Amino acid sequence: MITEQGRVLELLLSGQFICQISDEDAWRYLKTADNNQAIDGQLNTLNRTLATAAEGEVFFAAYQSLGDSERKILGQQFQEVASHLQPLVEWLLLVQQAAGSDTPISQGSAIRLTEIQASLEDTPAFAEQLEKISRYSLFGSTSSQLDGQLKLVFKRLTDLGYVLKPNSEKQIYLATGKIDYLYDVIRFIDETEALSLAEQAEQAVQQGSLI
Amino acid sequence: MNLHQAGVSLLKALSRHSDLIMQTYLSGSLNENEHSPKVIDKLMQLGVLWRPEPDAELRLKQAVRNLLESSLHDERNRQIDANIGSSLAGLKTLAQHYKEALHLQKFSDASAYLSDLTEHVYQLTESLENSVRTLFSRINNEFGYVGSIDAKIRENQLAQEQVSELLNQLEMFQFDQLSIEAGSNRELRHLLVVTLQQSFAKVTRELAVVQARLLALLGRFREFKGRTQLLKGFLLHLEQQPDFAPKNYSQFSQVPLLFNQAKAIINPAAVDVFCTAQEHDLQEIVGKLKAIHRHQQANIDDSERKAQQILVEQQAEVEFKEDILKQAAEAYFCQVIETGQSLTALDYLKQNELAFDAEAWLYQVIGEYQSLPLEEQSYFAIDTIGHDHPIYNGNFVIQDLELGLR
Repeated sequence: MITEQGRVLELLLSGQFICQISDEDAWRYLKTADNNQAIDGQLNTLNRTLATAAEGEVFFAAYQSLGDSERKILGQQFQEVASHLQPLVEWLLLVQQAAGSDTPISQGSAIRLTEIQASLEDTPAFAEQLEKISRYSLFGSTSSQLDGQLKLVFKRLTDLGYVLKPNSEKQIYLATGKIDYLYDVIRFIDETEALSLAEQAEQAVQQGSLI
Repeated sequence: MNLHQAGVSLLKALSRHSDLIMQTYLSGSLNENEHSPKVIDKLMQLGVLWRPEPDAELRLKQAVRNLLESSLHDERNRQIDANIGSSLAGLKTLAQHYKEALHLQKFSDASAYLSDLTEHVYQLTESLENSVRTLFSRINNEFGYVGSIDAKIRENQLAQEQVSELLNQLEMFQFDQLSIEAGSNRELRHLLVVTLQQSFAKVTRELAVVQARLLALLGRFREFKGRTQLLKGFLLHLEQQPDFAPKNYSQFSQVPLLFNQAKAIINPAAVDVFCTAQEHDLQEIVGKLKAIHRHQQANIDDSERKAQQILVEQQAEVEFKEDILKQAAEAYFCQVIETGQSLTALDYLKQNELAFDAEAWLYQVIGEYQSLPLEEQSYFAIDTIGHDHPIYNGNFVIQDLELGLR
């Protein structure tokens, strides 16, 4: 039998994000300072270190020191993340609007697919938006049916670890900590590039722009 | 007793018209067309309903509304009664009345004052507890009665103002003065000092919790709002600058931790066939593999698919040969019909110098005969020429066939 430490180490080395939703046992394990240090020590052997995001709620493995090859990998990853941003942001807003709530999707949010689907079907503007989102290369849908588009989008998001389906029988998805990581990424870009995104949105609302 | 009777009749009226009252409570005002004017007049006389302005619709009196709100724990109740100052002044006055009556030895007056005072003290403590409970119930469902985050933030701010108002009012509790007022009287001490102090301590403790929770909630609401704005702002930005791409942060000298995500390196481990402990498990896995392998043969790769195509061509060729055989057999049948003479199959084969294998020819002729419809079969007489098998009895070796017309 593999120990809990081994299991957590394996998760981290296979590039997984560990949060309370995706794997509560592993998350609790890492929340303990001793375990945290032990794992970090073992990761160090492989030039990796334990990193956290979303105010310490999400754990993942980062490189300890960066050489050329590591930078190359990170560069590729970054291109990927940057190209995923727009479809993901549009999807987040669509789900939020379709659910008719002011609360953004974040770790632990339950997304009921049937409810979302009903809302999308009733509102042509939402259906169009979904079609647009599903056509991005991230999702790559060719289906003309709303049902197919929605299922594909959620399947891809599950594969990428943004949501998970706790019960395979039920069409209910839970957002994982990777969504919170996504907010961190956008916030970081906002601050680094001095885009002042929140102010832009505020101004647009005041000017009555429809977004 | 007059008061008692009036009260009973009021309560009876309330119960008799409970439907009307609840409708009015829930919808805010009464639809006068739905009910008889007599009932409405009665309720107005009893002070249950009132008309705020001549043209306005009938509404429930505040007292009735309060009763329902506090008994039903209705979360829409946002009123906090914070008028502690005047209550305290009232308590002090009553205490003075009581002491004076005691001093003048008017005991019946004194006991009336005391019961009045008791009532007021309990009322004050109850109203304080009620206020805290209202605040808590609003926090517990996170201001669920309003939809948007902005409204929730406003509700939160209102609640915070109410808390600070309540705390300001609580400062008016001056227990040293109340203690002097109570003097050495046991009953007064119990009411003015012990009861009020307990209630005071409880309420201040709970209000501290309420305040902390409100601040935490406000933080969360702001966070929600911030996140939604972040997302919307990002899309707006992309709309205005479609070619926007963030700098490649991984090339910075100090790569932000957020973008420093190590590559996945774990691959599945390999099988150790010499490990006896795993033998059983491995065997099971191998057993399953076979099944999968067979299943996969159905959809094989391209090279095997090509081989299959060749097979199909070969089959076509075979069919072609059979076709000649079939045509020859049909010709044989036709000749028998035309000549009307019986003819053995092998003789026909020799006469026409056909290059078929004799056995195949015989089978074809039998096959041809069998494949005719029953009606047509009856026109032909087919006889088998041959001998019994020398060793295995019951077996008949056919050497030739004779076909004729019946």
